[in-house]
Amino acid sequence: MKKSIRSTVVLVSICAVMAILLGLTNYFTAPIIKKNQEAAANEALLQVMPNGEGFEKMDISSFTLPKTVTEAYKEKNGGYVITLTTAGYDTGLTIMCGVNADGTVSGAVCLASKETLGKEKTYGESFVGKNAAGVEAVDTVSGATKTTTAYRNAIKDALNAAIILGGGSVDIRTPEEILADNLNTALPAGEGKFTKLFIVEVIEGIDAVYTADNGAGSVYVIGEEFIAVPTDTTSDNETVAAAQIILAASTSTDISLTDYENLPENLLSAKKTATGNYILETKGAGFGIMNDEKYIHSSGEYIRVRVSMTPEGKIIDTLTVYQAESENYGGACAKESFYGQFDGKTEETYQEIDAISGATLTTNGYLKAIENAFAAVKIFEGGNEQ
Amino acid sequence: MKRNSNWSILLKGLLKENPVFVLILGTCPTLATTTTVDGAFGMGIAALAVLVCSNILISLLRKVIPDSVRIPCYIVVIAGFVTIVQMIVQAFLPGLYVKLGVYLPLITVNCIILGRAEMFAGKNSVGKSALDGLGMGLGFTVALLAMSTIREVFGAASFAGIAIPFMENYKIEFLVKAPGGMLVYGCLIALVYVITKGRAPLKKSFSCAGCPNAANCQTGACEAAAEAEIEKGDA
Repeated sequence: MKKSIRSTVVLVSICAVMAILLGLTNYFTAPIIKKNQEAAANEALLQVMPNGEGFEKMDISSFTLPKTVTEAYKEKNGGYVITLTTAGYDTGLTIMCGVNADGTVSGAVCLASKETLGKEKTYGESFVGKNAAGVEAVDTVSGATKTTTAYRNAIKDALNAAIILGGGSVDIRTPEEILADNLNTALPAGEGKFTKLFIVEVIEGIDAVYTADNGAGSVYVIGEEFIAVPTDTTSDNETVAAAQIILAASTSTDISLTDYENLPENLLSAKKTATGNYILETKGAGFGIMNDEKYIHSSGEYIRVRVSMTPEGKIIDTLTVYQAESENYGGACAKESFYGQFDGKTEETYQEIDAISGATLTTNGYLKAIENAFAAVKIFEGGNEQ
Repeated sequence: MKRNSNWSILLKGLLKENPVFVLILGTCPTLATTTTVDGAFGMGIAALAVLVCSNILISLLRKVIPDSVRIPCYIVVIAGFVTIVQMIVQAFLPGLYVKLGVYLPLITVNCIILGRAEMFAGKNSVGKSALDGLGMGLGFTVALLAMSTIREVFGAASFAGIAIPFMENYKIEFLVKAPGGMLVYGCLIALVYVITKGRAPLKKSFSCAGCPNAANCQTGACEAAAEAEIEKGDA
């Protein structure tokens, strides 16, 4: 009995002594181990935020963030590290961007890409220390416009995302989304589906008219104002009411192109309204090869443009009817942000528009189509004399 | 004379009673950690530290620990030191910690350590036990280094991670794999056997005195039987 008590006491005391030794060692090593482990886990994050500490992965599903954002980490001092995937020259351009608590970029690196020139590998360095305005001012790299523009947009998204994650709010909608939201708010009966009306009459004070696809009515845009006019009603707004009358009375007749000589060969069709305005469809060669100073589209498909014009040669409205340009380049000519620029332009001023970045040939082809419209109107107005 | 015996305690672990090649203890970590020289070195040093510490503590406590609970006591002491070493390695040598992986905590059940506690530290003075631990630890480290050098240089054309350019085209990758390790292990055991003329493991201090069955055994019977085996083999 005495023996077994002694055995127990000895074993328990040895255990106690070892436990104390272990506890002591742990006391000294635990903080170092924790630091090591954090450092290993955050090695990638530290690339873009060298002074960051205590990174924590965030659940971003509850935030409305720019679509490019895939992951976000919160840093102890209020910074964020955000991973974004966007498309440059090719898809899969993955960028990690650190945003300091004061809203400046702490660093940006490209994690993965399929770009051809590799400019994205070092481009991130140019954003370090920049705030939103500074990021905007960073130049894209010539020859890699597509890659670097996408990169810069991703950095902008990261800055916006950081504000949103921090509890702030930023309008991250694209211009198209803002327009759609405004139209829907003005005329909910339109159920969100609207088509821009191609305007062929001079209607003073109205910037644009959208009609609901389901026939619920129209929305007239005057500056920032969106005025809904349900079908078969007249607006209280005088400007809109006046425009309504003009548009309702508008009629047009076809012009026989064979009645005129020397018309531009790229003129496809022409109409004249009762008020004397012209509606022309012309075509222009976009991206393709230049042969004998004449553009020949590589796929044989021209950009087709509809233009309405006053007899004096002032553009009322423009619309891209058809285009088969490269999706991420010249394809932008199908956007209102491009062709809307021609509204109100004359033969003297129509070239003062912003070209499509990275698509000079498309822009030139488009301008050629507009030029043909001006030439055609001159001939129609001046008879056959020219 | 006394000095001599201390020296022999220290040196016997290196060759005559090398824990890996002669006593054939600690085979598992030997095979697992000898793919690279630095991993093997780390393993050897970690085991050496645990061996020395546990030998000292067990020798200190040898008169206090009752016979009936000595194995649990040894295991607690050894496991404690292994965990201490593990925490220190994890804190200060994270690279080695990752490299050794599960084999670091497994030092606890390394036969060399429990074997030395049972055979030597439980019966000898603190000084001698420390020397024994040091000698055995060095023997373990040297054995691991020898094996890992062969495996890494010929199997991976590098030494402690530094590439050996002219070996690059003559790699025997088989050596880095487990069967290759077995092969190298076997060859080294044979080499040590030749050098020591196969007599080393039969020293009295090792065989019968260390046998847990010694009390109930006809003294010398095992040795005589083993001796007879060897002679038969030689003949």
